[in-house]
Amino acid sequence: MRVDIHQHLWTEPLVAALARRDEPPYVRRIDGEWVLRIPGEPDWALQPATLDLEARAEEVRRDGVDLALVAPSSPVGFEALPADQARPLVEAHLEGLAGAPECFAAWGVLALADARPAEVDDLLDRGHVGLSLPAGAIATPAGLDRCGPWLECLERRDAPLFVHPGPAPWSRPVPHPGGAPLWWPALTGYVAEMNAAWHAFVAAGRSAHPRLRVAFAMLAGVAPVHLERLAARGGPAGAGLEPDVYYDTSSYGERTVDAMVRCVGIDQIVYGSDRPVVGPAPWGLGQAARHAALVENPQRLLSGARAAAPARAYA
Amino acid sequence: MIPGRHERDLDPDELVALVESLAAHSREWEDLVDHDPRRRTYHEILRDRHVSAWLICWTDEQDTGFHDHDLSAGAVTVVRGRVTEERLALGAPPRRRVVGTGASFAFGAADIHRVAHAPGEPAVTLHAYSPPLWRMGAYAVEPDGSLKRHSVSYAEELRPLGAPLSA
Repeated sequence: MRVDIHQHLWTEPLVAALARRDEPPYVRRIDGEWVLRIPGEPDWALQPATLDLEARAEEVRRDGVDLALVAPSSPVGFEALPADQARPLVEAHLEGLAGAPECFAAWGVLALADARPAEVDDLLDRGHVGLSLPAGAIATPAGLDRCGPWLECLERRDAPLFVHPGPAPWSRPVPHPGGAPLWWPALTGYVAEMNAAWHAFVAAGRSAHPRLRVAFAMLAGVAPVHLERLAARGGPAGAGLEPDVYYDTSSYGERTVDAMVRCVGIDQIVYGSDRPVVGPAPWGLGQAARHAALVENPQRLLSGARAAAPARAYA
Repeated sequence: MIPGRHERDLDPDELVALVESLAAHSREWEDLVDHDPRRRTYHEILRDRHVSAWLICWTDEQDTGFHDHDLSAGAVTVVRGRVTEERLALGAPPRRRVVGTGASFAFGAADIHRVAHAPGEPAVTLHAYSPPLWRMGAYAVEPDGSLKRHSVSYAEELRPLGAPLSA
């Protein structure tokens, strides 16, 4: 099965719930199209095609993918709102996913301010493939501690974690400077918090959660390319190379993916498109590497089926 | 146990010592031996910042084609069966040798060679590369006789490209 581990859906229930809000994040109908307003980011127009779930399913087929995993659009920040505001949006998101075409499955999502570990169990019982957390939630060892009960639940259930850019109630937002272009947050704050989340996991996450399988979006902000610097600064560089940590390719192309392959090996790379925010770059590493990233590696990430995987001793 | 963390890149002699050490610990890789007539099978059995090691299973006429390892030196030890190794030479036939069970050979990053299964029982080899294999060059001869090098990711299985480059 060919899997895209990273897409987003704007479903009717979620858009309607965001439209009912008075404070950002919200959506407004402006000149015939939905415009998304997020605290600290420029306004973002939701193209009509991104709201048409059948068109999105057709796009999945055109991409040559059998299953697309939907992650919450965490930079919107709805998981990080106070619980009474977050819960209606989380519920609307989950309700919308329930009506999505069959080629979509989803990462679970929590109202972070007060979610109980039993809610992770509930999400997995409802068929979610794992849990998605915003990078801001685990961008420090203290943040990892706060998420510990949810992560223990994932370990117990043998289900993976997906880490995507976005804030948590306890994270410090990266301010958006006035006049900066639309792409600014994606190249500054997102990269910084994915980097921080990966380094926090190396520093404290793995020792606390020895069996947890994790996939970082956007190649973890290319954090593993810093392994030599991590070693030079006395960090546990060996901990950066391990078989249960994966990196999705979203928004990166041949050269950066190849640089990551040099650092962590092809077996840790999983295909993630980040549709509809961006589309996948042309695959430049050959068919065997594509098969690894699209089929074999996602299978290990999702099922932990190590019997079918290379058994490696990572030193 | 499979050897632990390496703190620097290894030279060809050290890589031979590593693959022979891996060969002596067959319990670490024996379960991965898996011959497939359609393709060579590969398993990465060790990886750190400076070394990667692989188990490769060969049968029938499986053949890498001529290739180089770009920036990596390497070593191979044969733990079952036999393989042939050919080194590419200009204006002369490739230098060919048969490597049997228990024997090893090494190569530098600049070497261009080809490894193939030798007739007989299926073969099993252990390979180590330092720094870890990343990109490789695969060689082919065009109809006009010109030699072409194709840069490929290490994830691509090296089959002969185009016309076989043989003596």
